[in-house]
Amino acid sequence: MAHKWGMAVDLDTCTGCGACVTACHAENNIPTVGDEQAARGRAMHWLRVERYWEGDFPDVRLKFRPVMCQQCDAAPCEPVCPTYASHHTAEGLNAQVYNRCIGTRYCANACPYNVRFFDFFNPQWPKPLHLQLNPDVSIREVGVMEKCTFCVQRISAASIDAKAEKRELKDGDIKPACVQSCSARAMVFGDLNDPESEVSRLSRSPRGGKLLEDVGTLPKVTYLARQTQV
Amino acid sequence: MDRRDFIKLTAITGTSATLASCGNPEHQLIRFVPDDDIVPGVAEWKPSVCPMCAAGCGVTVRVMDADVETVRSGQAGVVKMAVAKKLEGNPKDPISQGGLCARGQASIQLTYHPDRLVHPMKRTGARGSGEYKEITWDEAIAELTGQLDTLAAARDQKSVTFLTRPHRGRRTALAAELLKSFGAAAPITYELFADEVLRRANAISFGHEQLPTIDLARSRFAISFGADFLGTWNSPVAQSAAYGAMRQGRPGVRGAFVQVESRMSLTGASADEWVPVKPGTEGVLALGLAHAILAGKRPADAGRAGAAIEGWTSGLPDYTPAKVEQITGVAAKKIERIAHSLVELQPTVAFIGGAPLAQTNGLFSALAVNALNALLGNVGQPGGISFTPGGGADLGRPLGGASSAPTLGSAKVLLLDDVNPIFASPKAWKVREAIAAIPFIASFSSFLDDTSIMADLILPDHSFLESWVDSAPESGSMDAVPTNAGPVMKPLYSTRATAEVLIEVAGKLKSPLALPWKTAEEVAKSTAKASPQPPAPSPKSPARFAEPVFDGDATAYPFHFLPYASLQFGDGSSAHLPWLQEMPDPLTSAMWSSWVEINPQTAERLRLAQGDLVDVTSSQGTVRAPVMIFPGIAPDIVAMPVGQGHEAFTRYATGRGVNPVSILAPATEPETGALAWAATRVKIARAGDPDGKLIMFAGEMREHPHEGKTR
Repeated sequence: MAHKWGMAVDLDTCTGCGACVTACHAENNIPTVGDEQAARGRAMHWLRVERYWEGDFPDVRLKFRPVMCQQCDAAPCEPVCPTYASHHTAEGLNAQVYNRCIGTRYCANACPYNVRFFDFFNPQWPKPLHLQLNPDVSIREVGVMEKCTFCVQRISAASIDAKAEKRELKDGDIKPACVQSCSARAMVFGDLNDPESEVSRLSRSPRGGKLLEDVGTLPKVTYLARQTQV
Repeated sequence: MDRRDFIKLTAITGTSATLASCGNPEHQLIRFVPDDDIVPGVAEWKPSVCPMCAAGCGVTVRVMDADVETVRSGQAGVVKMAVAKKLEGNPKDPISQGGLCARGQASIQLTYHPDRLVHPMKRTGARGSGEYKEITWDEAIAELTGQLDTLAAARDQKSVTFLTRPHRGRRTALAAELLKSFGAAAPITYELFADEVLRRANAISFGHEQLPTIDLARSRFAISFGADFLGTWNSPVAQSAAYGAMRQGRPGVRGAFVQVESRMSLTGASADEWVPVKPGTEGVLALGLAHAILAGKRPADAGRAGAAIEGWTSGLPDYTPAKVEQITGVAAKKIERIAHSLVELQPTVAFIGGAPLAQTNGLFSALAVNALNALLGNVGQPGGISFTPGGGADLGRPLGGASSAPTLGSAKVLLLDDVNPIFASPKAWKVREAIAAIPFIASFSSFLDDTSIMADLILPDHSFLESWVDSAPESGSMDAVPTNAGPVMKPLYSTRATAEVLIEVAGKLKSPLALPWKTAEEVAKSTAKASPQPPAPSPKSPARFAEPVFDGDATAYPFHFLPYASLQFGDGSSAHLPWLQEMPDPLTSAMWSSWVEINPQTAERLRLAQGDLVDVTSSQGTVRAPVMIFPGIAPDIVAMPVGQGHEAFTRYATGRGVNPVSILAPATEPETGALAWAATRVKIARAGDPDGKLIMFAGEMREHPHEGKTR
């Protein structure tokens, strides 16, 4: 049976520390754009930590939510793409083919989660910062749209390894960079088609919910609500 | 010519072509074959230790082949070598347990930073101008040896000062040994957010001069007094792992925690209950809780931790909930409720860190929390606090502004190792002036920072990925975790491991010094002599609450000033890494900026809007930064993250933002001489319209903060 990759994020253990944000930059060759471009809203973070302040001092609360591409099953970004750069893979990922992308940015307009980022210029890594680049991930040039891939290069690598060893992928074989860096173990990745996988178990949790569930995008990321002490 | 001759001929011409091109690395065929034992395109994983903070997380480094422009044997060229690609937490390491924080992830940029110092240098311009010329290692070592020999000839060995960060590694032991055999005083250490006050308190209360390990994973209820244990304090990765287990690691049991602080930290955001208190009264709240517990049936047995508190045996009559409410501003009912939870939800744990210890009464607050903890009965027990064996290493003598603390006073030769006190100490300490007056300064830094730019001689260290590394973490694990690891890649540049430079210098002195080590490897692999814990100091008299003393008159300077360790930069030592500069601060989403956090009501009263420039003025000076309207801060407090405002620190951090440490008053905690960095009062005044320097990833702090309101 085909895999269907999904993620569960437990907001009760997420501390908002941002390790996943930097891990994502390191893994996926996401450029830093510098202060001037960042001020123009061009900073690229495939994964961000959102904050929600509630109440006023002294009864103030702050909740965090890491938001990455939700890898929707009914993804609004896909049908709007005139070149099929934004498309759905057999394993349920919303993939982006950089070589097809002509930079219409329709997909970014259509995405309700604001997780697509446009390359306004060629990325720059003053030497020797280029040595940190991950050879498994292609570098995006000016004029294309980029986004979270669920670390598809790690999915492929683990699948190839499993095939070479003539075995099935085990639950936990694949960890995207964000999941791997998370000290509090707030993020879990796995196969939603395997009812025994941890991500399936967590996705069935009564605390579970999807981001902007009512827009009907059928996301594959489940957020487990933060609990309150009684 | 038959086939056999053709092959022979080809072999000969091929070989001679290769040999002929050996002189210039650019033309070497060999450059297409890596000089390391690595298969092109195949990743290897090698262990190392993260250098970013004292926690000492074990990491694994992904190593792959790459074309590197470098200089080998004096010739520039391209070589294919194995280089680090990414760092992950080492799953076998009891500290990191497979996780790694944002600073750890970014530490790879220490190696590949475009402004790294790549060879030894000698100053040519005026001090602080940053003008240097390249010299050879032989010249550099001769220069340093000559300076030391001059002192030795004048019988003035005491005038050498080695200034470093309180390292958890063996390198400080090497420096200490070198200085001792030379005849100089032990290394002086400096760290802005050091925990000397807590170490002292733990020595008095528990006999361990060491930071605690908190067993959150097995705790059901925790109360943290100001400790940002999920962000910046102590061992954040180990503590985050324990926190995850506390919340969701046990079926049917979800541990709860209360955070006591006056500005919401990253940790405070995750608390079940966030309790703001008046700055400097945290210890009173702890004793109020102890009073409520003692008033119940519980025996008052808290051992020496209790004995360190005045009035403990008589049930703390001065700390009734009503009195505590008056002092701390926390409602008596709330105190009784939390005390009830502390008794009912065993095992429970209390701990303190950060700003409460940086008050003039910090030691009292720490002793009070220790006594509360001892009363809860969980010291050394599951779900409580414990002390990592072998974690109590000698950390050197901390530099201080207090009269009893060591200063840079009469030094004639200053050696700087991974430390930046000009940036991280208050201007009033006059560290810059003291350093400028020292005739000769050598730095082992990999970057020209605010302090290293004063150096006459630069002997750049390898990056941690190119060196032998070691650590003996002070906390974060129940067991001793001495770690060492070899280099994961060859050096990119003409740098040298500082340990080996020190060993070479020791051997080349006119009267050579015998050190117990020959190489950096031997230093990293050596173990600390098991020194017995020093006899626990007794407090002069049982501690009692004294009103915290703040610098600045409350009418002229109406706000408490809280500079806090930033998640990205800590004390500023990682402000030069572009990933961290562009990482949005989780509480505000700000990037590449400095800002002043102000309560919304205060801002409205002062007619300040988001991004407006304000002057924050203490008795020591003024910094100007944009306003960040921050819902989680008391109305009488303004806070600023530490990290920006470097005068020199590579292209990414130089001249960016302002340094809140510079306007701190030189207040100290009297017992330890540690800087009381939270004891300054300030005034604020609008200085201008937004200048666009406050850069945020999100649009606003709230969804619609100004909806229906006009300014």
